[in-house]
Amino acid sequence: MANALVSGGVRSWYTRAASGRWTVPAFIIVWTVVVIVPLFLLLLYSFLETKGFKVVWDPSFHTWDRFFETGRWTVAMRTLRIAIGMTVIELVLAFPFALWLAKGCRSQGLKAILLTLLTIPFFLDLSSRTIIWRALLGSNGVVNTVLMELGITSEPVEWLIFTEFSVFFGLAAPYFATMVFPIFLVATLIDDEYLDASRDLGANPLQTLFLVIVPLCLPGVIAGVVFTMVPMMGEWVVPQLMGGGKVNMIGRSTEDALSTLNYPTAASLSAFVLAILVALLAALTLLTRRRGGVAGLFEALKL
Amino acid sequence: MSAADAHAGRRLGRAQRLRLWEHAVYAPIWRPLAAWIGLVLIVLTYIPLVWLVVMSFSDRPLSGIPHPLTLRWYDELFATSAWIEPMTDSLWLALAVGVCCVLISVPVGRAIPRLRRRGGVLLITLLPLFVPGLTMGAALFLFIRSYMHFKLGMWSVFVGHMVWALPFAFLLVIVLATRFDHRLLEAAEDLGASAWQRFWQIEFPIMRPGIVGAGLFGFILSFNELLRSIFLRGTETTMPIYTWAQASSHQSNVPIIFGLASLIFGVTLPIIGTFFWILFSRTDRGR
Repeated sequence: MANALVSGGVRSWYTRAASGRWTVPAFIIVWTVVVIVPLFLLLLYSFLETKGFKVVWDPSFHTWDRFFETGRWTVAMRTLRIAIGMTVIELVLAFPFALWLAKGCRSQGLKAILLTLLTIPFFLDLSSRTIIWRALLGSNGVVNTVLMELGITSEPVEWLIFTEFSVFFGLAAPYFATMVFPIFLVATLIDDEYLDASRDLGANPLQTLFLVIVPLCLPGVIAGVVFTMVPMMGEWVVPQLMGGGKVNMIGRSTEDALSTLNYPTAASLSAFVLAILVALLAALTLLTRRRGGVAGLFEALKL
Repeated sequence: MSAADAHAGRRLGRAQRLRLWEHAVYAPIWRPLAAWIGLVLIVLTYIPLVWLVVMSFSDRPLSGIPHPLTLRWYDELFATSAWIEPMTDSLWLALAVGVCCVLISVPVGRAIPRLRRRGGVLLITLLPLFVPGLTMGAALFLFIRSYMHFKLGMWSVFVGHMVWALPFAFLLVIVLATRFDHRLLEAAEDLGASAWQRFWQIEFPIMRPGIVGAGLFGFILSFNELLRSIFLRGTETTMPIYTWAQASSHQSNVPIIFGLASLIFGVTLPIIGTFFWILFSRTDRGR
C-alpha cells in the first residue's frame, strides 16, 4: 500500500517533470539565485568599504586601490606565479601522457585501470593526504633520514618542506588528473584519418604533431588549464600545510579578511581570481566556437 | 559494438591506427616517456595514501618511520568521541546531497540536451565546476550572511555542497542523455507505452550509470568538501573541517587523524574504485 503510494507519487512527479516545459527554466532560476547572484554580489562588495565593522553602500575603487598597494598585491602575484608555473608544468607532463592514454595505450584494461587510479584521489580529502608529506620530507623525515644514512648529505636538507618548492611539489599530484582528463577526452575524438591524410600529404611527424594534433587538442588544453589553474588559485590546504605559513596564497588572505569582517577585501581577492577565470572561459568559448561551442563537445562525445 | 565503430574498423585497423599515432608523435621517445610520466605522478598520488595508513600504525607517526608498530592511535581514536558528531553530521549531509543530486540532475539533465539553444544553459549549469571552492564559499557567505542576514548552519553548508556536487552529477547525466537515442522513445510511444513506462523500462536502464554516479558523486564530494564548508558552517563542524582543524594545528591530535583518515579511505576507496572501474571499462568496450 505505502509502496504503491510512493511509486504513484514518484510516477506523477516524474510525468509532470518530463512533460512540463518548466523543468529547465525553474532550475535555471534557482541556480541563478544560488550561483550567479552571490558571484555578482562578490564583485559588487569589492567596490564597497567597511566602516566600523559594517559594510557601507558607497561604491568606490578604494578597496582596489589598497589591494594594489598593500601586501595583498604580493600575495596575489605569488599566487599567480605558483598557479601559472604549476599549470605549465602540469601541461608539459599531462599532454604526452593524455595523448598516449587516448591513442597509444594498447591494453584496454590498463587504460581503465589508469583512468580509475587518476579519478579516485579527486574524491579523497586533501588535508590528511597532504599532512603526511611533512613526515616524509621534514628535517627528521624519511627522505632526510635515508639521505643522511647513505652519506649523501651530513645535514638534513631543509628546503624539502615549508618552502615554495614544497608547495609546488605538493600541488603536482593533486592537479595532474585535472589536466589529463580534458586533453584525453578531446584526443580520443581525433579522427585517425587526419593523421593518415597528413602523412599522405608529406608531413613529417613534427609537422603532424604541431599542425594537426596540437590544434585539434587545443580546446582540451584550454579546458585543462581552466580546471587546473583556477582551483589552484583558490588552493589553501596545500600552501598552508606544505608552506607552513611561510608561503601565503590568496586563499589564506581571503579567510583572514573574512574572519576580521573585512568583507570588501575578501571580495576583491576572490574577484581577482574570478577575473582570471572569466578570461580563460572566454578564450575557451572562442576556441570551441567553430565546433559548435561548449555544447559541441558534448555532442562529439556521442560517438 | 555500434555501427559507427564497425565503420571505423573497416577504414583503418586497430594496429594501423596505433602505428599512425606512433609515427606522428615520435614513437621511440613518446611511448616510454608518456608512460613514465603517468607512472611517476600516479605513484606520487598514492604514496601519501599508503604512507598515511602505514603511519597510523607507527609509534612515532610524525617521524614518518614505521617503527615500532602500535595500535595505540586506534585505541585513542576509539577512546575519544570528539570525531563522532562531525562524522555523523557529515554522513547525513552527504546522504542528503547525494539524494538531492539524483532528484535534480536526472529530470533537468535529461531535458538539457533536448533544448534548442543549450550553450548558455550548459555554461551556467556547469559554471561552479570552474569557480574555486574558496571563491564560491566566500561569495555564498557574503550573500547569505552579510546580504540576506540569515543564520549560517548545516543548511548553508548543504547549499554550498549542492552548488559543488550538482554540476558533476549533471556532467554524467548530460553525457549519457546526449548519447541516448531518442528514436527508442518514439518507437515505444508508437507501440503504446505510457510516459512512465517509457521512462522506467527504457530510459532508466540506459541512464542507470549516470543516476548511480550522480548520487555517488554527490555523496563523496560532499563528504570530503572543505573549502566551502569552512565559510558556510556557522558553528557546525563536518568531518573534513575536523580533520583540517587537527591537521593545521600543531597539536598531538595529529596521529589520531591518521587513523581516522585511514578508516575513511578504507571505506571510500573500494566504493569509488569499483564504480569507476565499471564505468571506464564499460565505456571502452562501447568504443
